[in-house]
Amino acid sequence: MEQWPDRLTNLPTTMVNRTLRSGQSINSDGNVVVLGDVNPGAEVSAVGHIVVMGALRGVVHAGSTGNENATITALELVPTQLRIATHITRPPDGSNKDKSYRPETARIRDDEVIIEEYNPTK
Amino acid sequence: MGKVIVITSGKGGVGKTTTTANIGTALAMLDKKVVMVDTDIGLRNLDVVLGLENRIVYDIVDAVRGNCRLNQALIKDKRFGNMYLLPAAQTKDKTAVTEEQMVELCDKLKDEFDFVIIDCPAGIEHGFRNAIAGAEEAIVVTTPEVSAVRDADRIIGLLEAAEVRSPRLIINRIRTNMVQSGDMMSVDDILSILAVELLGIVPDDDAIIISTNRGEPTVMDDASQPGQAYRNIARRLCGEEVPLMTLTAKKNSFFSRLKSLFSGE
Repeated sequence: MEQWPDRLTNLPTTMVNRTLRSGQSINSDGNVVVLGDVNPGAEVSAVGHIVVMGALRGVVHAGSTGNENATITALELVPTQLRIATHITRPPDGSNKDKSYRPETARIRDDEVIIEEYNPTK
Repeated sequence: MGKVIVITSGKGGVGKTTTTANIGTALAMLDKKVVMVDTDIGLRNLDVVLGLENRIVYDIVDAVRGNCRLNQALIKDKRFGNMYLLPAAQTKDKTAVTEEQMVELCDKLKDEFDFVIIDCPAGIEHGFRNAIAGAEEAIVVTTPEVSAVRDADRIIGLLEAAEVRSPRLIINRIRTNMVQSGDMMSVDDILSILAVELLGIVPDDDAIIISTNRGEPTVMDDASQPGQAYRNIARRLCGEEVPLMTLTAKKNSFFSRLKSLFSGE
C-alpha cells in the first residue's frame, strides 16, 4: 500500500455547492464534499473520501483508483449503489429504506463494506 | 411584454400536452391573451386536444422559414377570441427548426401575447433544446411514479444548466386513495427528491380522457376536479396566492362512510 498517500485527507478537496440531479456527475482526483443531495441517477467518483451533506440516493465511488481506506459519509445514506475501491455493494433487496435520517459512514473493514453510525472520533 | 413558459417533463405520457391545453385555456378564461406553441414536430397532438385540427393551414415550420406570415400560422380558438395555437408540422422532423429560430419566434410572440406557452416534446434531444431555447420560465410535469420523477430530476438539472430560471413543478394524476394506503408516492416524497417550488397538484380523473378525446379542455367544466386544479394553477401563474387543493379519497364503502360518521368528518 506504499503507493498511496498516508492520509487521504491531504488530497485536494472539491466542494460541490448544489444538489446533483439525475444525469449529472462529478469526477475528482481528491476528496469530494457535496453541499446538497446526490439524487438517483447522479454519480460521484473520487480518488479519496466522499462526504454528502444531504441525502445520498445515487451511485458513489470512493477510492476510485483502489484505495481501500476511502470512506463515504452522508447525512442520509440511502444509495442506489456504494463503491469503495474495488468493492461494490447495494442495499439489500426489499429493504424498505427505513428512514433513519442519522448520519452514517461506509468503509471497508475485514474486506467487506460496512455501514456504521457517523462518529467523528474514528 | 408577455412571459414565455415551457411545459416539459422528460418522460412521455405524463400529461404535458393536456397540461398545456388546460393551462392555456384557463389563462384565456382569465382574459389573458394566450398563444400555445406545439414544438413536437412530427408528432403533433396539441391541435387535437384543443379540437382545432381541422383549421390548420400553416404551421410552425412555415412560420419560422418565412413561407407565411406569423399571423397566418396562428389559429384562433373556436371558443375564446384571445387564445391562439401555433401548431407543429406533422410531415417534418425536429431538425426543421433551429434554436436561434425559436428564440426569434418567442421574442415576436411575447410582444403580442401575455402568455406564450410552449408544449415541449418528450426526450432531452434536439426537440427539447428547441423548446427551451426561447423560454424564460419552465413548468415541469411529473406523475407519482419513480420513473417520471427520475426523468423530471434530469430535466430540472438540464434546465438549470441552460439557465431557465427556477423551474416549478406540477404533480399530475394523483390518486388520493393510493397515496393514503401508501401504495403511491406522496407529494412530500416527490418534493424531497426534486426540491423545487410546487406550482400545483392535479388529481387523476377519468373525465380527463373524455375531454381530451373530445377536444374540449377540462378547465371549461366547472364541476371537474382536475379542471379546478388547472384553474388554480393559472391563477398562481398570474401571481395570485391560491392554496393547494386538499384531496381526500372518495368514500365509497358503507363501512368507511359509517366510520367517518362516527369520527365526525
